[in-house]
Amino acid sequence: MSILLSNQASGAAPIPTEPPASQQLLDRLRAIVGDGGLLYEPSELLVYECDGFTVSKRIPDVVVFPTSTEQVVAVVKLCNELDIPFLPRGAGTSLAGGTLPIGGGVMISLTKMKRILDVNLRDRYAVVEPGLVNLHLTNHLKESGYHYAPDPSSQGACTIGGNVATNSGGPHTLKYGVTVNHVLGVEVVLPDGSIAQFGGTCEDSPGFDLTGLFVGSEGTFGVCTKVWVRLTRNPESYRTLLGVFETVTAATQTISNIIGAGIVPAALEMMDQGIVGALEQAFHFGFPLDAGAVLLIEVDGLEVAIEDEAAQIEAICKKTGAREIRRAQSAKERALLWKCRKQAFGAIGRLSPSFCTQDGVVPRTKLPAILEFIEDCGRRHGLRIVNVFHAGDGNIHPILLFDERYPEQIQAVLLASEEILQKCLDLGGSVTGEHGIGVEKISFMDKLFAPNDLAVMKEIRDVFNPDNRCSPGKMLPTCGACGTESMPHQHHPSRRAAL
Amino acid sequence: MFDSQQTIQPATQADLSRFLADNATANACRRLRPIGGGTACPRALEADEVAVHLDQLNQVIDYPARDMTITVEAGIRMSELTRILAAEKQRLPIDVPQVEQATLGGVIATNWSGSRRFAHGTMRDYVIGISAIDSSGREFKAGGRVVKNVAGYDICKLLVGSHGALAIITQVTLKLRPIPETSALVRLTFDSLTQIDAAVAGLMNSATRPIVLDVLAASDAKPQLIVGYEGSARETNWQIETLRTESRPFEPRDFVPFVGIAANPLWCELRDFVLATKIVTFKASVSASRTAEFLELATKSQVAAQAHAGNGIVIGQLPGSVTSVERADAQLQPLRELATSSGGQLVILNAPADWKLLGAMSESLAGSLAWSQRLKRQLDPHNLLNPVPTPI
Repeated sequence: MSILLSNQASGAAPIPTEPPASQQLLDRLRAIVGDGGLLYEPSELLVYECDGFTVSKRIPDVVVFPTSTEQVVAVVKLCNELDIPFLPRGAGTSLAGGTLPIGGGVMISLTKMKRILDVNLRDRYAVVEPGLVNLHLTNHLKESGYHYAPDPSSQGACTIGGNVATNSGGPHTLKYGVTVNHVLGVEVVLPDGSIAQFGGTCEDSPGFDLTGLFVGSEGTFGVCTKVWVRLTRNPESYRTLLGVFETVTAATQTISNIIGAGIVPAALEMMDQGIVGALEQAFHFGFPLDAGAVLLIEVDGLEVAIEDEAAQIEAICKKTGAREIRRAQSAKERALLWKCRKQAFGAIGRLSPSFCTQDGVVPRTKLPAILEFIEDCGRRHGLRIVNVFHAGDGNIHPILLFDERYPEQIQAVLLASEEILQKCLDLGGSVTGEHGIGVEKISFMDKLFAPNDLAVMKEIRDVFNPDNRCSPGKMLPTCGACGTESMPHQHHPSRRAAL
Repeated sequence: MFDSQQTIQPATQADLSRFLADNATANACRRLRPIGGGTACPRALEADEVAVHLDQLNQVIDYPARDMTITVEAGIRMSELTRILAAEKQRLPIDVPQVEQATLGGVIATNWSGSRRFAHGTMRDYVIGISAIDSSGREFKAGGRVVKNVAGYDICKLLVGSHGALAIITQVTLKLRPIPETSALVRLTFDSLTQIDAAVAGLMNSATRPIVLDVLAASDAKPQLIVGYEGSARETNWQIETLRTESRPFEPRDFVPFVGIAANPLWCELRDFVLATKIVTFKASVSASRTAEFLELATKSQVAAQAHAGNGIVIGQLPGSVTSVERADAQLQPLRELATSSGGQLVILNAPADWKLLGAMSESLAGSLAWSQRLKRQLDPHNLLNPVPTPI
């Protein structure tokens, strides 16, 4: 869930007034990263008080900007010596509070480590530093016929290191897989300050698949300082379709029918009437404002085959009552459609002063059920909820609209959010498809997993991060709580985490 | 459940959990050898070991075909799983030999893969949920039953390829793929591996999209490049004809396409190459671009090899004339060096039990292995399960 509202209105913890970082810490960090490599003035630290999950805020004691693995090692060793928590941060686009600096400490911003170290098209990999912006890699490969497949909507800002931490997805992961399917190896500075390389250019490394384990560990196993990523050939052709439906139910039934027919499009996204209206205001694409929902469907592959696949999808759309099916007529039109989709969240400001985004997942055949539930849930709580999501994966992103000036609306949003995520679990799904657990969804971990499951996860974390000094308070629930009685949203685990 | 002191064959996951808990608390607890189909377990049982046969844990728990996922117990035979999926025109696109014997859990534990990995990846790309029992009898799970899920640590990845060193896999949820309308293989014979290397390099940017890029090499035969395609009939035929044109500059001696069921014998040959054990079978991993160089060296040592050339994976068989461990060591040595110099490794898959042959791995991989050992100590503190898979 991502809620955009002010700290005060949310009832979140005020910015701590603890003593600033000690002079000793600052002096020694300065010796590692240089004068221009750290921030410590409270006004400078405000930017780092939260990521895309803005419910909870907490400034770190200091932010450092290392430029090499060796500097990261030195910072981590210093934190160990001085008994200070630390955590890595990429661009801060995470939506679950993964970069909330619980307990303060040193935030290690990797944004200055952004070089592309190697591109090997013959072996289909690239080696990059973690601070490289996702889209910059694909832009760098533009004339090569290859690209980096994971494409989160924030790909113009988010970093590959951050994608590794949260195992990010994106629209095209339906066909191509999520981040972990495209990471061949990682170099990691472990919480004890040692460096390890998991995986690399050669496949099937001996031992366990520690690359696979590290991806998605949300910064709790150490700091990623280098990534070996797989490069994917560009498809020869695309067909990008826009299916227009009278109702959300018809659209979701179509999604189920496409997947049920054994077709795996490159992307299959749904946008309902509410979000389409906002997009039309923002981009003037010509979306039908009276439609109940539209499906953005893309198939890619060889030109010789793609027309048949597109025609098959069109036939399914018609059969389930699509009133119109449009095709992108040019590369420019296709690019604009994707721009609309990927910048959908930016358009929401036209609908409401504040919003909260969920990231649940359901089996694809349960999409009609969860969409109906969401509609009902909004009605019961007096909230307007719009939907734009990765329908082909069953990964919903209901956006709950509200006005932060009204505390009762905040309360309604939090209650509705919990109900929606619980419904995802009831339908056999999960509470996060790509945003991560962070601090936001910790309270759901013991609903998703049994005590044994969580115990094993903790034991695994303890191998890498025995003192829980690296990214403390993330992913796994702890027994701590503030214990004060008040509004439901103050019981939110992230709020406790921030406190 | 107990048919002898050295074998158990639990009928349910709960039975297995109880046995493991009892074993862990017994005065003289036994070491455990999880066995699926027994197709990758050449080592004889030792006196203090119990063989834990999992083939009775073979139930389909849930198959929502329209969601393209299936949840099954891990002891299900691959042939049975394939049959069930095929009825819904779906598949798990992993090539496995001995499908009548091999179990899903065994394939996952050994991370077996074959020719189609070039396009379809390996087991790590398909296991989305997993249940397992550790050596103390503790049942745990990770992942779930939906195709996209980042809740909790990805223990699925940790257990894929773990060779039963951390826990015994009991249940799995898989992401599935549709069966394509048709598939085809094209066999191209070349005069030299140098020509094949150039052809493979060219194919990496082919107008076609191969799903298989295998090389078969032996000292007494011309090397062959096998290229696979799948999709609609029109798409597959177009790709074959395009390959015919694209391959001409590399001067293959022949170009033989096999479409649909006509390709079955060649698919079997690719799938079963690893079974043609002579005396020693190994698996090496090198940079994909150094595969031909590795094969050149291997064939000089009379090694027969199958390479998944797009991935840099080589399965090699030492010749039957190698009758001593010293000779085998000597023949493997240059191959070990090449593998490690390209950042890869060499693992012995099969050798006479009394031959102590070493594999090889690069320095960085050795560092990573130390972390695998730490995980092993954490999750199996009494060292009752299999050792961490390591080349040396």
